[in-house]
Amino acid sequence: MIEIKNIEKYYASKGVKHYVLRHVTTSIKKGEFVSIMGPSGAGKSTLLNILGMLEESTYGQYEFMGEDVTTLSERKRIELYRNHIGFVFQAYHLIDEMTVYENIEAPLLYKKIGNSERKSRIADLLDRFNIVAKKDLFPNQLSGGQQQLVGIARALAAQPSLILADEPTGNLQSVQAEEIMELFRKLNKEEGITIIQVTHAEKNAQYGNRILHIADGVVKDDVQVG
Amino acid sequence: MFKLNLKIALRNLWRNRGITFINIGGLSIALAAFILVMIYAAYETGFDKSNPNYDRIYQVGRSMQDLKTNYTPPPLAQAIKDNFPEVEAVGKMKSGAFELPLFTNEGTVFTQNFLMADYSATQMFKIKPDYGLEKPKGESVSLFLPRAYMQTLFPHKKDNKPELVGLASKSAGQSGEVIGSVFVDPHSNISFDALYISNDLGKGEDYGFNNYQTYIQVKKGTDIYNLEQKINKLYQTELAKNSGNDDRFKSTTIFLDPLKNLHLKPKTGSDANYKVLISVSVLGFLILIIACINFTNLSIAQAAKRAKEVGVKKVMGAYRVQLAIQFLTEILIQCIAATVLSLIFAELVLPGFNSLFLVNLTIWQSNSSLIWQLPLILFFITLIAGIYPAMVLSGFKPAAVLKGNFQTSKQSYWLRNSLLVIQFSIAVIFITGLLIINSQLKYMRTQDVGFKADQVIYVKNIALFSDPAIFEPIREKIMKISGVKSVTVTNSIPDGSKLGTNTYAVDAKKELISFLDVDFDYFETLNIKLKEGRPFSKEFKTDAVNSAILNESATAKYGLTNPLGKTIRGCDMDYKIVGIIKDFKAQGFEKAVEPTIYTLKNPCGNPKTMIMIKIEESKMSETLASLKNQWLNINPKDGDNFRYQFLDQLYGKLFQKQEQLQSVFFAAAILTIFIAILGLFAFAKYITNGRIKEIAVRKILGASDLQIMKLINTSFFTMVILANLISWPVAYILTKKWLGTFAYRIEMPVLPFIISALITILLTIITVSLQATKAVKAKPVDALKYE
Repeated sequence: MIEIKNIEKYYASKGVKHYVLRHVTTSIKKGEFVSIMGPSGAGKSTLLNILGMLEESTYGQYEFMGEDVTTLSERKRIELYRNHIGFVFQAYHLIDEMTVYENIEAPLLYKKIGNSERKSRIADLLDRFNIVAKKDLFPNQLSGGQQQLVGIARALAAQPSLILADEPTGNLQSVQAEEIMELFRKLNKEEGITIIQVTHAEKNAQYGNRILHIADGVVKDDVQVG
Repeated sequence: MFKLNLKIALRNLWRNRGITFINIGGLSIALAAFILVMIYAAYETGFDKSNPNYDRIYQVGRSMQDLKTNYTPPPLAQAIKDNFPEVEAVGKMKSGAFELPLFTNEGTVFTQNFLMADYSATQMFKIKPDYGLEKPKGESVSLFLPRAYMQTLFPHKKDNKPELVGLASKSAGQSGEVIGSVFVDPHSNISFDALYISNDLGKGEDYGFNNYQTYIQVKKGTDIYNLEQKINKLYQTELAKNSGNDDRFKSTTIFLDPLKNLHLKPKTGSDANYKVLISVSVLGFLILIIACINFTNLSIAQAAKRAKEVGVKKVMGAYRVQLAIQFLTEILIQCIAATVLSLIFAELVLPGFNSLFLVNLTIWQSNSSLIWQLPLILFFITLIAGIYPAMVLSGFKPAAVLKGNFQTSKQSYWLRNSLLVIQFSIAVIFITGLLIINSQLKYMRTQDVGFKADQVIYVKNIALFSDPAIFEPIREKIMKISGVKSVTVTNSIPDGSKLGTNTYAVDAKKELISFLDVDFDYFETLNIKLKEGRPFSKEFKTDAVNSAILNESATAKYGLTNPLGKTIRGCDMDYKIVGIIKDFKAQGFEKAVEPTIYTLKNPCGNPKTMIMIKIEESKMSETLASLKNQWLNINPKDGDNFRYQFLDQLYGKLFQKQEQLQSVFFAAAILTIFIAILGLFAFAKYITNGRIKEIAVRKILGASDLQIMKLINTSFFTMVILANLISWPVAYILTKKWLGTFAYRIEMPVLPFIISALITILLTIITVSLQATKAVKAKPVDALKYE
């Protein structure tokens, strides 16, 4: 699904290059659940952003589903977001002015899904995540765990094949964090959704089946789990 | 999708209702000003526009060496009609400006402005009497009156038959026939309050009688320049035929002035209206543009709040253009609200506006084009106000905004700074201008004008009192009424009207000076101070024959050091100078007092008809009542109607134009400072939001609240000082120019400059501090804990 070769990212300042990522080469197959780990400032988030095409690498090749995406127009990229990629953020990033229902509905609207199909999908997601009663509340009326559930529901609404999660449990208490990770494992196992997450916690990484250890912008270790 | 965006837009606006309110309020006030200017402009440019031949009617004028006039000789019209087939119709008019009483047993009206027109002129200008207009037969004339006058004169009239009215005074025993009523279009260049229509005007008068206005209506596609040349040639040949060797008119040429220019910028009159219209339009447009840009600033100031939404929506698959449309929709909603509000504001201030500009405008009837103009304006202000925020907001990069420590960028910092400086500069110019106008007006109101108009009434009269002996019995009768202090008669009252001029000689030195014909007690009635000599007095028999009094300016003009007893010669008379009076400002403050000679007898002057009576203040109302009761007895020749005006009110009208200017400046100063403060409010919010972290760090490092306040205020303080420095010279030059139009004026004061600086600085510090307080009071930990 994802092939990256010799990805480099650096910031040039006063003629000096500050490397964030160096020579990152890896491939991620469909159905994998990959955790990117490493100390602060190692370049985990940058790598995830590059995979999610939120940032561009300064050098290297990136093929997404067999297509070279290093130089992709904004329109094409957004098409990928609509159809293939769902994002989950540490700070949830729900839209404060929208209700739970509307937050989940938004990506379907952009994807131009018909009214009845939309309704049934949202009902299904609300039901599955047990948040039917919350559907008319605004994000600030929910707990952090509930907000992240909505965030994941929103990411799933467009039925993506890949979920990119940047420390999805970073702001959560451990019980809620476990629930979220269980959910990820279930999505990966039962629906075959590819998941790439950035995490600090070894415990969270154990839910997946592969760990990329990054330090100082270089992949130090690539291990299979479980 | 649209419904959802709309819903979110409304939620967003409600959540930030403070800012929303300011946004909409500011825009709607500016828009209200703009709408008023627009309907004013439509009104001012719309005179006679309802005439279907509007574009094809021209006034014929004559251009002499140093004068352009629309007075033309009557035979010219017929000659044009006979010679040029491209001229469809010609019309002649003549107006009379003196007051003529018309009366019946039911009531009396006074026509101020009667117009004589030939039949074809009424056809050209679509003047339609209420029961139709028959072409007058032969030499007969038909008199028509406005509906209101007819109502007063014939309150019970039901039919459309002609009626008889008395003319002038009952004792004169004259009467005339009124055919009917006529609608007087206030929105036409042709105005009158009595209309004589005849078949032809000025029959038998030749090319020397330049007393008529001539209008021509040309066929479509006529080359006007060519026609003008041809008419000019015709005029020259006709002149040569008729007046032979009189070469006074040889250098006179003919010009054509289109009907559409007659109201605003006639070639023969002042284009002051046009200038006022242009400057008011520029002002309205400026205010609207500034308000729109302000709106933009306020929208961007809130950008940080919306950045996350943009980022999230983008990763959920929203195109940039979709987001841009969403933001434009939000701004459109606010603009619609502002438009509705502005119509309400405009409606509220319209009465004030009308009385200020002496017009009678309404928002809806006067200008139906507003119905299509308004959506257009709405569209444009949405674009102007919305394009920039829509571009900036929709352009946020998701990776940057979703990281969490996003700060609105410093882009367009210079643009906003300069905008703020410009706004404040304009505000300072208006404040300074307003203050200087105020001081000059205050000076004009408090300064001694050299005479006292208070408690002096001017009595209108058409009987002639040029000979003091004729006026004497009338004076005696008036003086008997208790409360009357003095009475006089003259041919011009001090209400700003220009006096006649003539050449007078003293010791062979000839000068062109003004003359005023007065009666005994003129100087006493107006309380004019004597410098030397004596006033006119009945004790000196010669005063009514050949005594003259000069004012100081006149003695200065002749260079007389010892004028009393000298002889001044003019109008074939030798006058003996018996007194010198101090100058008094009969013409207001704009013109210097003219050298003037005052005499009782003057064969060259107009007849004396204007009676002035000085009355004791405490007995004013009873004295006026007695005068009214006894007026027929006092003045049998024109005693039916006692009509008077207070002289101080007439003189006060000289200040009207300046007071109008003062009001416009007042409104402009308030508006610009208001809008500038709004802009500042947003800008300060934007800046402090961007510096929250810096403020938190400084506080942890031990900065006091006051130090931080100073820190935030400094940059704004600099900008306001800069604005003041920029606008002072501009304000100085403009007000200097304005003051230059006065012959009597204040010295350029320094205080207004200082005051406007203080006002702007104070307002700035208050506004900025209001915003800064929030940032300063916030706990540093809140600002720093993220990440």
